[in-house]
Amino acid sequence: MQAHSFSPGSAGLRRAWVLGLAGASTLAAAVEMSRLLSAGGTTAPEWVVLALFTPCFAWISLSFWAAVAGFVQLASGRRVPGLRWPDAEREAAPLQSRTAVVMPIHNEDPAAVFAHVQATYESIEATGHLDAFDFYVLSDSTRAEAWVAEELAWSELCRRVGGQGRIFYRRRTDNTGKKAGNLTEFCERWGRRHDFLFVLDADSLMDGATVVRMARLMELNPGAGILQAPPLCVGRSTLFARLQQFAGRVYGPVVAAGAAAWQLGESNYWGHNAILRMSAFIEHCGLPVLPGQQPFGGHILSHDFVEAALMRRAGYTVWLLADMGGSYEQPPPNLLTYAQRDRRWCQGNLQHLSLVLAGGLHPMSRAHFLMGVMSYVASPLWLLFLVAGLVSAAHAWLTQPSRFGGVDAVLASGATFDSPAALRLMAVSLAMLWLPRLLGVARVFARSDVAANMGGRARLVLSVLIEGVLSTLLAPVMMLFQSHFVFGTILGYRVSWSSQQRDDADLPWAEAARRHAVHTAVGVGLAVLLWVFSPGLLAWAVPVVAGLLLSIPLSVFTARASLGLWAERHGLFLIPEEVAPPAVLARAQVLTEDGAATVEDAVDHVLSDARAHTLHLALLEEQPSSSGVAGALASGRRKLLASVPEPLSAQEKVAVLLDARTLAEARGRRLGQPS
Amino acid sequence: MDSVTLLPSRLSAPILFADRQDTRNALDAFFRDFGFTTRADLERLASWVLSARGAGVSPDVALALARERVEAWLGELLGPSHASGKLLSRGRAAFVLVDAARLGADVLLREPRHLPEAWRRTFRDAVPVPVPHAAPSVMPEQVLVLNPLAELLRRWLRLGQPGVSTSP
Repeated sequence: MQAHSFSPGSAGLRRAWVLGLAGASTLAAAVEMSRLLSAGGTTAPEWVVLALFTPCFAWISLSFWAAVAGFVQLASGRRVPGLRWPDAEREAAPLQSRTAVVMPIHNEDPAAVFAHVQATYESIEATGHLDAFDFYVLSDSTRAEAWVAEELAWSELCRRVGGQGRIFYRRRTDNTGKKAGNLTEFCERWGRRHDFLFVLDADSLMDGATVVRMARLMELNPGAGILQAPPLCVGRSTLFARLQQFAGRVYGPVVAAGAAAWQLGESNYWGHNAILRMSAFIEHCGLPVLPGQQPFGGHILSHDFVEAALMRRAGYTVWLLADMGGSYEQPPPNLLTYAQRDRRWCQGNLQHLSLVLAGGLHPMSRAHFLMGVMSYVASPLWLLFLVAGLVSAAHAWLTQPSRFGGVDAVLASGATFDSPAALRLMAVSLAMLWLPRLLGVARVFARSDVAANMGGRARLVLSVLIEGVLSTLLAPVMMLFQSHFVFGTILGYRVSWSSQQRDDADLPWAEAARRHAVHTAVGVGLAVLLWVFSPGLLAWAVPVVAGLLLSIPLSVFTARASLGLWAERHGLFLIPEEVAPPAVLARAQVLTEDGAATVEDAVDHVLSDARAHTLHLALLEEQPSSSGVAGALASGRRKLLASVPEPLSAQEKVAVLLDARTLAEARGRRLGQPS
Repeated sequence: MDSVTLLPSRLSAPILFADRQDTRNALDAFFRDFGFTTRADLERLASWVLSARGAGVSPDVALALARERVEAWLGELLGPSHASGKLLSRGRAAFVLVDAARLGADVLLREPRHLPEAWRRTFRDAVPVPVPHAAPSVMPEQVLVLNPLAELLRRWLRLGQPGVSTSP
């Protein structure tokens, strides 16, 4: 298949508009800030303030103008140019290609995972195009209980839908390269059987029509390497999750349309809910191992951006299908799990710094790396900006003859500081943060059916206001979290890639207090400092100080499903997918509630349950030998086959479960049979 | 599966007890893994296995005969698509998953073609196929020159290590 580097003719113009307006806004703001700071002569701390303000403003400015571009694109009612879309006749024709729908998992809840696979499977089946798809659950699970539960859930799923031979389950014993390595291993074993690779995350859910449509788009556009369907957050009940779901539903489309509108065929790949051209992926997207040690060297952690860059380097385009719909995922249930996920992403994105200048990459790929870095580095920059502002104010207070009047007097003095202009600059900055939200709200208001499914216009406005207040209060906490992650990464802390909590369990007060103690202390310190230097400045800093002081209760209360459900009952933060769930969502919900077999002790389960035993042995034949766990196997065997069996360690359980002979022997003994 | 009943088989093997206890134990263990539990079923199945060789066989030989018998039965039932070294383990899993042992030893003693078609289909659908046949290929690791300008300078000055991505 011939790759080409097609980009629509309007790409340059679109990028010039967005980047030009962002650049011009930043320049104007920087000049204005410089003027404000230099009123009484620019001091060293003030230069630092200016140096920090400029990239921070550039970041919000780019986001703002991209959102405006998205709003304009949506208002035009047209698709972004560049992709060939199927006509009605083509839509009805059978697919000519084969697609592997893959879901890499790692110690996840099998009930939810296989419920989502089944719902997606059935949804594709309902389109009549099931024959063009195979499904693979690619397990990297290391916990023995997760492993055995997955086997049983897979078998049960196949039984329910008649999916043997179409839904496959593979577990790796060696987790090299983590998720990216998992996919690589899949591609190297079965990739050539398929034309396209549809990647799901463990909490992904896809409408069948969307999957079929994306496969058809790949058929029609041989130059397309990756099509990304932006996932909508759904399906959680905690207040925190419902806030995210609501924000994603109201503001997300504008943001996604904006990215698609100016990035066009050089868009990014988010690692899941996307379809990839298999041959191009195999030939051109094998991930390099970066020189040096973690956190910047070694295996690439956030593989998606790099794969998109490599795909683009090979001449294939990468598209964000902002208006595709039918693409879902679940948000983290609370602030701490959100931060935990951010920590992984932070290190992954910072690692991309070393790739920004790499040879042969498209400029937009470099921009994606930089934007990814900036999405985390912005936090410490804002933090440093606040600190520098504080130092600058203190410096002014200490060096001004009128310091006994306090900073207020210095700031309020028309001779040295242009307060109205400072207020204007602040208002512009806040507007750039808030206007994209208002554009999102305006879009919802324009469609009465959507507004009605979000609780009606009055509740929608109330929801937006409350969401705005809560997100403002949570922002300084995330700022400190992300600053910590950035500095930690730079200082060389490693990140463990454990699976994230996906259920709606309440957050204990003790856990919140432990995680947010520093944030609260910073809030107290900041409040005291400002109170001493200038009570007037404290008023300006109330959102930051209040967010930090309230971080513990905010974290606990927003983690509560009871509050989230209370808000839902009162029509707050509603999204249409809750009021009138699409079939695939409703089905996934029912299947998840049905649950899967629970496995308390994997070895015990495999030895006592005939079904689990024979199934496990049958699947074990697909696993490589257990040569790497000889020591654990020996001790596991000794404990298991002793006259009074002892409990096995986690490693021994895995070793025993990898050894058919031991399992058969132990089961024989358990059934009272001579071995 | 509840609705499936089998008439007593006309092909049942004559009762031929294993005369060695160890052989008998080995065969019992083998068929217990298929879900058979009753003494009568286990005796009939042992006789079925040993009918070709008579008495006095060792446990290893008896087990090999049992595997051969069951694999032949499974091979006929499942067809050539499942013919592989994994036939026995996959077939046994399917046997347990559909709870075939509830039908008694007759289910194994019959020619598979004489079993009800619906049951045979259910059995075939239950055979675990965790992965398809592989189509091996290599995903070559891409090489990235991390800083082309610095690399030019390094080459010009012949200094240091190349700044490229490498395998460990």
